[in-house]
Order: sequence, then structure tokens, then C-alpha cells
Amino acid sequence: MTAPDRTAPPTPTRRSVIDWLIGLGFTGWFASVVYPVVRYLAPLSGSAGGAVRLSAEDVAKLDRGQFTIVRSGDARVIVLQVDGALRALDAKCTHEGCTVQFVPGERVVWCACHNGRFDLEGRVLAGPPPRPLGKWIATREADGGVVVTRGKA
Amino acid sequence: MSEGRRGRVLDWLDARYGLRPLLEFLKHKEVPRGGHSLVWYYLGGTTLFFFATQIASGVLLLMYYQPGETTSYESIRYLTTKVPFGWLIRSVHCWSAHLMIVSLVAHMFSTLMLKAYRPPRELTWVSGFLLFAVALGFGFSGYLLPWNELAFFATSVGTDSVKGVPLVGQWLLEVMRGGQDVSINTLYRFFALHVVVLPLTAIAIIGLHLLFIQRQGMAPPMAHQRQATPRQGLKFFPDFFLRDLLLWLLCLTALVTLVFLMPYGPRIPGIDWELGKKANPLAPAYPGIKPEWYFLWIYQLLKEFPPHLFGVEGPQMALALVTVLLLTWAVVPWLDRRAVREQPSPAFNDLGVAALLFIGFLTLKAWDIGGLRPGQTGLPDAAASARACAFIVLGAGAAVTGLRFALARHRWFALSGAALLQVALHGLAGVGYLTAGAISVALAAAAIAALRRRPPKEVAAP
Amino acid sequence: MIAGLPLVLLLLAADPPDGGAAASRKLPDYLEELFQEKGDDGRPVLSAEDRARLEALPEHTVQLIAEKMDALTVSGAPHLKRLLSLDLSPQLAELVFQDNCIVCHTDAEAQKKQNLFSPDPKADGSPAHLSLKDVVSDVHFRKGLSCSGCHGGSPAAPRMTADIAARWPKKEDRQKGRAWVVDFCGRCHADPSFMRGFNPGLPTDQVAKLKESQHGLLLLQKGDPKAAQCVSCHGVHGILRASSPRSTVNAARVPETCGHCHADAKYMAGYTRADGSPLPTDQLERFKASVHGKALLEKGDTGAPACNDCHGNHAAQPPQVASVAQVCRTCHAQNGALFDGSRHKLAFEKHGWPECGQCHGHHDIQRPTDALISEAPDGLCGSCHREHAADHPECNQGAAYFRATIGELAASHRSLEPRIERFAELGLDVEPILASSAELEEGLIQSRARIHAFDRGGFDVAAAPARAAVQKTEALLAAAEQERRFRRNGLLGAIGAGGLLALALWLKIRQIDRRRRDQGT
Repeated sequence: MTAPDRTAPPTPTRRSVIDWLIGLGFTGWFASVVYPVVRYLAPLSGSAGGAVRLSAEDVAKLDRGQFTIVRSGDARVIVLQVDGALRALDAKCTHEGCTVQFVPGERVVWCACHNGRFDLEGRVLAGPPPRPLGKWIATREADGGVVVTRGKA
Repeated sequence: MSEGRRGRVLDWLDARYGLRPLLEFLKHKEVPRGGHSLVWYYLGGTTLFFFATQIASGVLLLMYYQPGETTSYESIRYLTTKVPFGWLIRSVHCWSAHLMIVSLVAHMFSTLMLKAYRPPRELTWVSGFLLFAVALGFGFSGYLLPWNELAFFATSVGTDSVKGVPLVGQWLLEVMRGGQDVSINTLYRFFALHVVVLPLTAIAIIGLHLLFIQRQGMAPPMAHQRQATPRQGLKFFPDFFLRDLLLWLLCLTALVTLVFLMPYGPRIPGIDWELGKKANPLAPAYPGIKPEWYFLWIYQLLKEFPPHLFGVEGPQMALALVTVLLLTWAVVPWLDRRAVREQPSPAFNDLGVAALLFIGFLTLKAWDIGGLRPGQTGLPDAAASARACAFIVLGAGAAVTGLRFALARHRWFALSGAALLQVALHGLAGVGYLTAGAISVALAAAAIAALRRRPPKEVAAP
Repeated sequence: MIAGLPLVLLLLAADPPDGGAAASRKLPDYLEELFQEKGDDGRPVLSAEDRARLEALPEHTVQLIAEKMDALTVSGAPHLKRLLSLDLSPQLAELVFQDNCIVCHTDAEAQKKQNLFSPDPKADGSPAHLSLKDVVSDVHFRKGLSCSGCHGGSPAAPRMTADIAARWPKKEDRQKGRAWVVDFCGRCHADPSFMRGFNPGLPTDQVAKLKESQHGLLLLQKGDPKAAQCVSCHGVHGILRASSPRSTVNAARVPETCGHCHADAKYMAGYTRADGSPLPTDQLERFKASVHGKALLEKGDTGAPACNDCHGNHAAQPPQVASVAQVCRTCHAQNGALFDGSRHKLAFEKHGWPECGQCHGHHDIQRPTDALISEAPDGLCGSCHREHAADHPECNQGAAYFRATIGELAASHRSLEPRIERFAELGLDVEPILASSAELEEGLIQSRARIHAFDRGGFDVAAAPARAAVQKTEALLAAAEQERRFRRNGLLGAIGAGGLLALALWLKIRQIDRRRRDQGT
């Protein structure tokens, strides 16, 4: 019987148990550190975006035939008045998210970034945008004010 | 990970950057072993760990904190109430700050006791001292950032003390404050300091400090403390490093437990970070306002000086004294001639103990320990407080001296004796603090002179 | 040492002499002589203090005093001392020394004790109403209406004359009754055009009112000398404006003034109420223990009512059942309005009960507690309903409903504070909970007030929001508890994970150590 070979690697089972334990422990510990940090860094959910009442200046702009863009929570909404009827659409272009604008003479909502065009219902007329603009509802109040609320999906 | 894969990556790097010498160095790096001293070698690492925690939690806080008149306080309130785990990050940052300073001070005193500053490691001590100053700067600048009442008044009191610097005092005060009084401009400056200037400085000096240690190796204990057959040092990788990691893990666990149990700190004045009320510069300071605990000794020392002393303004003299004491501390490696010769240096052991007793008494007194009956409002009784603190410090001092005598076989007590004498004269006999100090220093000087005249023990018999 | 001597001398020289920096003023000869006068004990009568007082007076006043001395109106040093001891301001000193009445009547050597005005009547054995200190602060005196204004004569007269007592009733007349006092004071105070010259804002209807009052009835119609007239409340020589804190008719002192007679059982013996029962004399004691009394007398809150606010001043009458409630309403308007719309109002009117007083008392009103509506024997609702509303069970049910609701809300509120504090200590966000708790508190206050509507609907107007606040607060507390548990569990999980890793590391360290030992390193 030869003497035990000192240079042979130590028994694999005992070594890997501890290493496995280290790995497991480290994973658990790392998760317990990373989880709070990830939750901390996650942006807080934007406000539901309820009804927004337009300011007097914005209403004046509408009456002059210009468009206005208002904020509802995290969303941007473009409000315009054509032929006496109020319309409101998502102002965030469905292509890359640039803010759109209304071109009065052409009755078209246009995105300057990549020349996307939408009609007054939000449907895509031309350009790269893949989806129509979301609809919002703008109502004229008895006192002349304008309120914008989220429309159906 | 198989040897082969790791080996191939290392070969690739080595071919480009010549890593092998570095790896050999790391493989053979050792931590000295001898006597009871191995325990102390971990303290530098824990300080570094807490500092790393500060950086991590600080960066996270930066993502929500907004400095500004209407946003500093509000953003922290938002952070601690609405942001998920915001309370955790903030509390971790506050706790870790205090733990870092405790660890730093322990590290500093242990290197003093072990004489790790002796040649060739003088600059390691000096860089360490600078890091101590930077850490205090971090604490001071960070304290103001929540812009709450406590921070506002503590900063007013703290910055006021620089008036005492001769010639440039007033200018310095205005530059620090960004105006005559503490205002939001002060906060902007402190923010820049806390988030950019001090971190860069700290990282640079830590880099130097670690570079020195890598280059020179960790200081071995003094010759006389090493055992007859010196053991081989502990390998840094992986032995010491794993122990280091384990200790850091335990520190982190302790930190999180403290955060949960005491989210606003132990609620001692100077160690309490409940957000409270927003700073109102027009409101009168509320009684009992105190700076952070590590500044309390300076604050109390300033209070002990009369408005004028020997024709010089009290605050100026106090600041001068503090400067002298700190500078003395900074140049200890050059003062300790005996350690240079690898001989026992009892005077400097005693200096360490004396410093702790001196600072301890002033800190306790600054907290008005024993000066206020429970529920009593109004000004605390300074004499009663001095008495109570004297009892505590004398008791602790007696215990420490006993232990030193019995266990560590120390026989040199001139400086710590002077510190205790000052405490006894001032607290028990009612002698003025400065007078008691003068008497104690004089007696200590006389004792040291007498000791010097005695023939040295090590002289061998002819 | 030697150099110190001149210094000491200098210091001594710089030490100012006793009595003032400048040399004393030269006083007129007559007065200087007085300072030589010695008393029975051989010491000078007038002291350095008196000299200082004299010197503080302006030149013309000192001249005036000298003239009085010359005329023997001021008879000597003791007399002057008494006058100087008042420490008067120069203007008042001028007034006093000009007035021969006062000057003569302060002369202890010339006056009988019963006519002697003194700075300390008790010490001099003279009647209490002849207090010199009172007279010089008296509002009539300061307005220039001194002794002669009431007693007749002229202050310049050097001695007593017949016309001095012309206006003043003779002793027999004075002692026959007290009714003459009213007309005496009223001679000026009921004359608007006269009073306009002194204080246009002062009312002049006091006499008319008094005639209608219970006091006036007794005094003028029944000729009762014990009934209160002007002097009883205002005093005679030391009359002060009601706004002065020392005045007997100042709001805070009114209870004491009224109580002077009305709290004295011996004095009030024999007086009865309309129904024949004796007039009580414990009102002052009860008032002092009441919430109004404590507010007025202990806290100095002059918004709280004194006797005159409910009973009237000059027209004091025992308040009629209907009228007191109106008085309560002047401050307690909301409760009054609620009560007016309630069914208790009709019921109380039917029984002829005072509205507020029936439940809350009169003189001994205490801070109302929830015990008032309790079911216990000392609770009010049950005891009354049993007797007078036995055929209306819904009354007791209503009372029970109020009781139960208030009790529930109060209990919820009480239980909140310790719980909120605990969460605050643990670092949780308690702002919304505190806001909700404040809403509950507000609701509780309103609910208690709305009991006065004696109607479930009216009560629920306040109780419903309070109950909603309770729900909200409980929900918030439950959420906070959940958060606390989440944090605790998170910590335990983190400690567990950390502990596992620590264990693994420790085992690894041991393994490496063992390997080193085995390998002989």
C-alpha cells in the first residue's frame, strides 16, 4: 500500500459542500441587499392622471384656434378646437415619444421628429408611427372652462 | 471555476499588463502575528467598509435629495416616507457615519498603542490623521443637508467657533457660511464639499494610505512584544481576507439591525437624526442644542475659557490650544524617540489613555450629565454636572489603570494621572477647569522631569 | 505699597457723599427750620428720605408747601412727614397741597381720630374709609373733584366754615337710611350734560337702573339700609375706574365685591326668594369652583363672566328663567342655536326650566364631561326622562345613542396616541395618521356640541364624519402595522441570509486553516 498522495487534490465532496454553501449564502445575501436598492431606484408610479382643468390662458388659446398641451399625471395631452368641437389626444407620438403639434391649416396633428402625421381622430395618416394616438375627452363646462379626462382605451 | 479557464484569462492579461509580479506579491502578502495584536489589524478594514457603505448609500440618496430652500427638507421627507426603502437608505447612511467614526477612532488608538507609526511608517500615520480630519469634515458638512432645526442651529454654533482664528477668523467665517449667518448658501457650499470635494480628497488620501501599507507591509508588533519564536504571519489572501469579509458581513448585519431597532439613532443629543421641524432662521435656538458627539469636546473646551485670558480673547486661546493638541497628535511618530529604537514607549501608551480620559470628560460634561434633574428645564447646573462626570471618569480611569497595571504591566502613568487629577480638581474640588489643567500639567511635567533624572533601568550592570 | 496710598486716597475722595451727587438745594427758611425739629425720642422728625422727597418736587410746589406752613395749615414736621410719606408725583403733590381739606384733615394733632385722614388708617386708629392713599388715587380726586365736590365748601378755605357742610347731609339724616346716597351721587352721575364735561363715554343711567333693581327696590321702596347702594360696591374715597385692576368693580374683583354681602350668611339672614325660601349665600363659593370662576379668578381671563355679566350691574335682578339662557348664548352661540331648534326647548319652556342652567347649573358650572350623559345615577338624561318623559321611550333611546357614540369615539381617540407614538419611534411615516386623528378629534368636539340638538339626525351630522375618521385612522394604523411587520420580516430574512453566508465563510476559513496545518505551513 502506497503512502497517501499528499499532492492529490482534497476530497471533492467536502470542499464543494462548503463552496456550495458559500454560493448559496452569497446569493441569498446579495438578493437581500439588491432587492431594497432596486425597489428604491424604481420610479414611483405616476399619478393616475385624473381630470385636468385648463387654465384661463389655455382656454383663450383654444378659442383663438391654437392648440395647447397640458399635463395629466405623467401623461401629456394635446387639446385643440376645430369647427367649434373640442378634441383631445395623447401628445406623445407612438413612434419615439416626441411631443406632437397641431397644424391648423391642414387639420392634421404632426410629429416633427420623423414627419409622422395623424388625423384629428388620432389615426396614422403618414410616416413611421406604428399606432394611433390615444384618445382623451375634452368637455366645455357651463362657466366656459374646459376639462380634459381620460378617454376609453 | 476550473484552473484552466482562470489560468487562460490571467495569461491573457499578464501578456498585456505584466500582472504576474502583482499576483505573486498578493500571494505572499502577510499580516503580522504576535501577542494579542491580530485583532487590531481588522479595524482599518472595518473603517474602509463603513466608508464604502457611505459612498453607496450616499449615491443612492443623491438620486432623490435636492438641495434648496424649499426642497432640502422636503426631499428628505419625501424620501423617508414615500420612496420604498428610502427610510432604510437614509438610516443606513446616518448610522454608518457614526460607526465609521467609531471604527476610525478605534483604529487610530490601536495603531498608537501598537506603535505602528514608528519608522518607516510615519507618513501612514500622517495620512491617517488627515483622513480623520476629512471624516470630521464629512460629518460636519453632511449634518446640515437635511435643513432641519437641529442641523441649522448645530451648524450655527459650530461655524461660529472659527471666528477665533486670528487675523482671518471673520473672513473664514463668512466664506464657510456664504454670508454673515447660516443660510441656504451655507447648505449649497456644504453640499459641494460633502458630495464632491471631500470624497475626492478622501479617496486620494485613502489611496495613498493603502499604497503605503501595500508597499511597506502591515506594521509588525514591537520587537519586545513578538514571541520568542516568531510565528509566520497570516496570509492575506485568502486567510486574512476571508476573515475580513466575515467581519464586514457581521458589521453590515449589525448595521441593519441597528437601523431597524433605532431608525433615528440612540436619541442622545448629538446622535439623533429624526427629521423634526424644518429650519427657520428666524426662530430662537432651542435650549440643549449640541453639535455632533465627536465635536462635543471642542465645544465644551470653548465654553470653559473665559471671555478674556491674559489679554487674549478666550475663543482664540481655546482654538489655539485645540490646534496645538491636534498638531502634537499629528507629529507623534517624530516625538516618540523610544519607538524609533524599537524600545517600549510607555509615555505614548499613557498619552493615548490620557487623551481618551481628557476627551471623555469634556464630552460627558458637554452632555450635561448629572447637571439636570429629570424633568428639570432651564440651565443645567454646571458644578453638579462636573461632579457627576468626574465620578464617572475617575471610576473609568481607575478601572483602566488597574487593568493596565495588572494585565499589561504598565508602570508609566504621568499623563493619564494628570488628566485624572484635572478631572478630580475641577469636578470634586470645584477648581476652575483651566486652573486645574494648569496645575495638573505642571505636576506632570515635574513628575516626568523627575523620572528622567532617575538612571534608566535597561542599563546593564557593568 | 507706597504708591498704593495715594490711590486709596483718590478712591476715598471719589466716593460720593451720602444723599446725592450735587449739594442739597436751599429750601425756604420755614422748611429748613422744620428739619431741625426733633420728636419725643430726641431724633429729628424728618429724615434724609423726606428731604429727598421734598427736593424732588418742583420749585413752585415747595413754595406752596412753605405758604401752607406759613398759614399754619401745615402745622409742623410730623404733619409734613405724613404728607410726604405718600411719595406723590409732582402733579399729584401739587393737587394735594393745594387742597386745604386734605392738608388739614391729615394733621394728627388737630383732628379727632374719626376725622383723621391717614396714610395707614389701621395704625392711626382712624376709620378705614379715611385712607389717604386711597384718596390720592381716587378717580374723582384726580379729575380735580376733591373733597369740596361732595362735601361742599372750597379747598382754598383756610378753616372750617358753615358752607363746608352745606351740601353734606347732617349726621342724623345720614344715619337714618342709605337712600340719600343714590341721589347724592346721582346729582352728578345722572346728569348727562354735566358728565359730558368729564367723561362723555360714561353712562348716566345708573340711578334709573338701580331704581328698577332688587337692590333699589329694597333700598328706596322698603327703606332697607342694608341694601346695596353706590358706596357699597364702588367705595367712597378710593373710587377707581372699572378698567383698573385694583378697582372693586374690575371684572376680576366683582365676585369678591358682590360676595362681600351675598356670601355673608349673617348679613343675608332674613332675605328670601320670591317663593319664600331663604336666599342662598354659597354662590361665591360655587362660582370660585366653577369653570367660569377658575377662568376669571385664576387664569385672569376677563372673557369669562362675573356676577354682573349674568345678573346685570345697576339693574341687578335675579335673572328670569328666560333671560339667563340668552346671556349664555352671547358666548355659547352654537350650542344655543342647536338648542333652539331642539325638542328640549319646547319641553323646558313647558316646565318653566332655565335652558342651559337645568343641565349645566348656574354658579357651579363645571367643564362638561361625558359623564353628564352617562347612564349612571348622576347622569342627567335618565333622571329627567324617568320622571317627565316616561311615556316617550325614544328619549332614553336617543340619550343612549349619544352616549354610546361619544363613548366609542372617545375611546378610539384615547387609544390612538400610544399607538401612533410607537409607530413614530419605529421610524414609520405617521403624518397621515396624525392628520386623520386630528379629524377625529374635531369630529368628537363637534359631536359633543351637537348633543344640544337632542336629535339623532342633527347629532349624526357631526358623528358620521367622526366615525369615518375612526375608520380611516384604523385603516392607516393597520397599514402601518403591516409595514412594520414587513420591515421586521425583511430584517430577519436579511439576517438569515447574512448568517448563512457568515456560517459558510467561517467553515471555509476553518477548512483553509486545517489544510494549512495538514500541509505543515
